[in-house]
Amino acid sequence: MISRLFGAYLLKEGKLTKDQLEIVYETMRKVRVKLGLIAVSEKLMTIEQSDEVNRLQAIVDKRFGDIAVEKGYLTDEQVSRLLGLQGNQYLSFVQSIVDNDFMEIGDIEKALSDYQNENGFTLTDIESLKSGDSDRIIPLFLPQNITEYQIQHILICIRTLIRLIDSEIYVGKGYVTDFYDANYFALQSLDGDNKATLAFSGEGKSILSIADKFAGEKFDNVNEDSLDSVAEFINCVNGLFATNVNSSFMIDMLPPEYSTAKASFSGKLLVLPVYVQGEKIDLISSFGDIINK
Amino acid sequence: MAKILIVDDSRTSRKILRGLLEESGHEVVGEAENGQEGVDKYKEFNPDITTLDITMPVMDGLEALTKIKEYDKNAKVIMVTAAGQQNKMVEAIKNGASEFVTKPFEKENILKIIDKM
Repeated sequence: MISRLFGAYLLKEGKLTKDQLEIVYETMRKVRVKLGLIAVSEKLMTIEQSDEVNRLQAIVDKRFGDIAVEKGYLTDEQVSRLLGLQGNQYLSFVQSIVDNDFMEIGDIEKALSDYQNENGFTLTDIESLKSGDSDRIIPLFLPQNITEYQIQHILICIRTLIRLIDSEIYVGKGYVTDFYDANYFALQSLDGDNKATLAFSGEGKSILSIADKFAGEKFDNVNEDSLDSVAEFINCVNGLFATNVNSSFMIDMLPPEYSTAKASFSGKLLVLPVYVQGEKIDLISSFGDIINK
Repeated sequence: MAKILIVDDSRTSRKILRGLLEESGHEVVGEAENGQEGVDKYKEFNPDITTLDITMPVMDGLEALTKIKEYDKNAKVIMVTAAGQQNKMVEAIKNGASEFVTKPFEKENILKIIDKM
């Protein structure tokens, strides 16, 4: 995520062109090897075990390494070693820029410092960004006054987006608002001990970046079929959230909803811009009550 | 190969499920988008196996399961839902559901369950 966030900053500041940034990402893609593949090549797991863990990742909210440890295929120490072999995304980003002669290392460090100041990040925040861990990164973009459960809900949504839709997503600064005008939407509300809603909306055809990948087909327009796909994605996210909080409180999942018509949401809404395959989509979350339409 | 009825309010889920069942040689005899329609189509098609989503408008999967079992106590029903609905799964099993699967669909798991039935 840091390569996308910092990359967008470098583009905005004119330090890199769009074409140069794409070359950098392409270079990173070529050298970024999946953890399962490294585990197989290191003869720590069989191909069948790796495939099994990949399949399980679609239905449980866990990382490859965590599942592999649970299944007894890897130890924690082996996962740490494999992650080390996989490499840090930030370092890979910097190396790719330097190797392509687009910027010098000193200029990148200076730009990172400017990025830190512009966003009011602390050194600890920058370390979190460099870690590549979405659970450490996302809270930096969320407002302060939201509940722990709402943060959990959003983190599960982001992790599921990374696992099922796009491993290179990034986010913008989240904000709280009383109203949100949606051009179209897909959502699901949760009833029970703690009411909540999770919704996606966007401009133009941006939401198709989720719809296409989840349904495994190419939609041409934002219509009932594509929004249904997004609603089902939300359904899966909420299912994982319900599983995680089941011991704390009871959740009743209401049927997913969607509409191609404009709608006004009201309530205490958290809006987090999420960039999926480069398209900006708004993730809208309410906790404590469901969204009013 | 089994004759299967798919009951789910999501057309995406119906399409994905139909695709993987047909690809494996099963025949999807009908689709329904809510529990009431599912009960009606069960009576119309008498499928070997019915997949029944739990969270649906009009009539949810638990109520539809009860009505299908009232009509045919030997009905083989697989409950389908996103994770996190353990209480409803338990209720469904008590009410006669044969199996359950979790969304998003995992092809090998579903086919293994259908073969077992």
